[in-house]
Amino acid sequence: MPSFDHDAVSAAGANDAPWRAATRSAAHDAYLATAMPDESEEIWRYIELGFDLDDYGPALEPGVPLDGDPLLEVSHPAVAGRLVDGYWVGDDVEAAGVTVGSLDRSSSTEPELVESVVTGAGLADRRDRFALAATAFGGDGAFVHIPKGTVAPGVIYLETQATKPGSTSFPRIVIAVDEGGEASIVVHFRSRQEDDLTVVPQIVAALGDNANLSVTVVQNWGYATRALGNTNVVVGRDAALRFAEIGLGGKLARLHLDVRLEGRGSSANIVGAYFGDKEQTLDYRYFMRHIGTNTRSDMFLKGAVEDEARSVFTGMIRIENSGQKTEAFQTNRNLILSDGASAQSVPNLEILANDVRCGHGSTLGPLDAGQRYYLMSRGIGEQQADRLQVHGFFEEALLKLPQPEIAGPVREWISNKFVAAQVAGRV
Amino acid sequence: MTDNALQIEGLTAGLGDHQILKGIDLTVPFGEIHALMGPNGSGKSTLAHVLTGHEDYEAAGSALVDGVDILGMSVHERARSGLFHAFQYPVALPGISLEKLTNEMEDASEEGDVETRAIDAAERMRMEPFLDRFVNVGLSGGEKKRSEMYQLAVAAPTVAILDEIDSGLDVDAVRDVAEMVESMRNRQRGVLVITHYNRILRYMTVDRIHVLVDGRIVESGGPEVAERLEAEGYKTR
Repeated sequence: MPSFDHDAVSAAGANDAPWRAATRSAAHDAYLATAMPDESEEIWRYIELGFDLDDYGPALEPGVPLDGDPLLEVSHPAVAGRLVDGYWVGDDVEAAGVTVGSLDRSSSTEPELVESVVTGAGLADRRDRFALAATAFGGDGAFVHIPKGTVAPGVIYLETQATKPGSTSFPRIVIAVDEGGEASIVVHFRSRQEDDLTVVPQIVAALGDNANLSVTVVQNWGYATRALGNTNVVVGRDAALRFAEIGLGGKLARLHLDVRLEGRGSSANIVGAYFGDKEQTLDYRYFMRHIGTNTRSDMFLKGAVEDEARSVFTGMIRIENSGQKTEAFQTNRNLILSDGASAQSVPNLEILANDVRCGHGSTLGPLDAGQRYYLMSRGIGEQQADRLQVHGFFEEALLKLPQPEIAGPVREWISNKFVAAQVAGRV
Repeated sequence: MTDNALQIEGLTAGLGDHQILKGIDLTVPFGEIHALMGPNGSGKSTLAHVLTGHEDYEAAGSALVDGVDILGMSVHERARSGLFHAFQYPVALPGISLEKLTNEMEDASEEGDVETRAIDAAERMRMEPFLDRFVNVGLSGGEKKRSEMYQLAVAAPTVAILDEIDSGLDVDAVRDVAEMVESMRNRQRGVLVITHYNRILRYMTVDRIHVLVDGRIVESGGPEVAERLEAEGYKTR
């Protein structure tokens, strides 16, 4: 397995466009000078990483792909592509004016466009060890381009796999939706249950004026995978982002989301549903920045933890003094299903403008005894009553998914996690 | 089949050391609708919850549904034995549609015709607009009562306990609910309507009225009992 050394930087950058090469060596120097983050930093509070990235060297080429993606078929994609250990596998696809393909190739053929999306979304502001490693050691990725006024002909499906035990891979998905363009993207993260590996997935998107983008990430990493992801989105004038993340897998799975509502009248609808079981840690740090006037955001996340799982949601709505007439809401509700499980829910508001409407709500608690009693009074057994209650709890989030076609399997996977915990007598 | 849908004998119940029901004897024969009336705090709702099997109450005595004592059973077993409780304050079930709930009732039932009843009742009771909505979420008081009555029609129980099914309703809604109760009358069923006022009783035919005061049935009789209570109020007898 390669190490995080100079040779790896050169190998990862073999196909770099000039702008990319310039960022790479600087990020490597910074990486070498940066320690693993710890709980003393606010943004890393509440979790223990418990590993050293140096023990998982960079994946410098794709491994053998996993087959049989259960989500692919139900998504009925118009375009499907695949990243294996961070590398685009297969040809680029063009359909109805939409291009989906290798990030490396696009970085050379359309350097200004790719550079503007990557730098414009503020990814370079991330200076932690994982983000720096991604810039220094990340190879290829996927690039999705929706040109001006183009509506993608259906779901764009990006299966993102990690296959190499002992490695760190850096899948990067860069999305440019130009003025008036529309796209709906499903990203499926997968690795084998037993593969001990690390992933630093990064999704970067830029929405031009009047653009519409829906992205749903279904996080199905194996139980031995650690994922430390970033998603950065910049939203232009009157453009609308919908983003959802379904958190199912991972030993440790973290998502740092940063949405910048820059354009006047722009909006973001963020949905989350996550279920932590056994010893999982699911960690969400969501930042919503209102920069333009008349912007609107809504975050709605529902999570459950059982056994010794833990979850973290910290949400920050920041309204700049330019963000007048803003409406911003965040809701995070948590089911604590076992005594040994824990959830942190920390909503924050930082408001610099004076003419805004904001609200936040956060709850933590067990299943409701009143609902259980009512359901049982209808002849439904206690275990089934609890399953129904868990179903209902997540349904409020799943009904808001931008791609309703994937709700079926997602609902089933969440339900299976709860049923498995019941069968094992943990809940 | 026995003669009586519900037969309660010597039923006592309380919360910890606090005794609420102090020895209830009450029988509802098949085919009849009875009313249980009484002042606030007399134990009317407690009786409904004790029969349903709420875990907070400790109960003794017997309560037979078609001859089978349900007191030792868990909540869902009592329902499967033929008891239905229309709640005074039904809880909201966010994320669970009414149709999903009745489907689950069907899965839990050992009978085969729950689905047919659900379809028939939805049409007859004009419930179609509510089937996709979450149970008791964002419903008015009257809509919640209709939802409870619809579930009753789907369950087709041997014993129906309707707790304050008329509370918080305007006069049209009371008449509407009363007609629904009347339509539930059935030779395979006994109905016990719990009410504070005799308002709802004006719109339905009640075979017998029982008066509960301080945890005891103090009087049982025909419709004239409700008329006198209306005039004189509840006083300890």
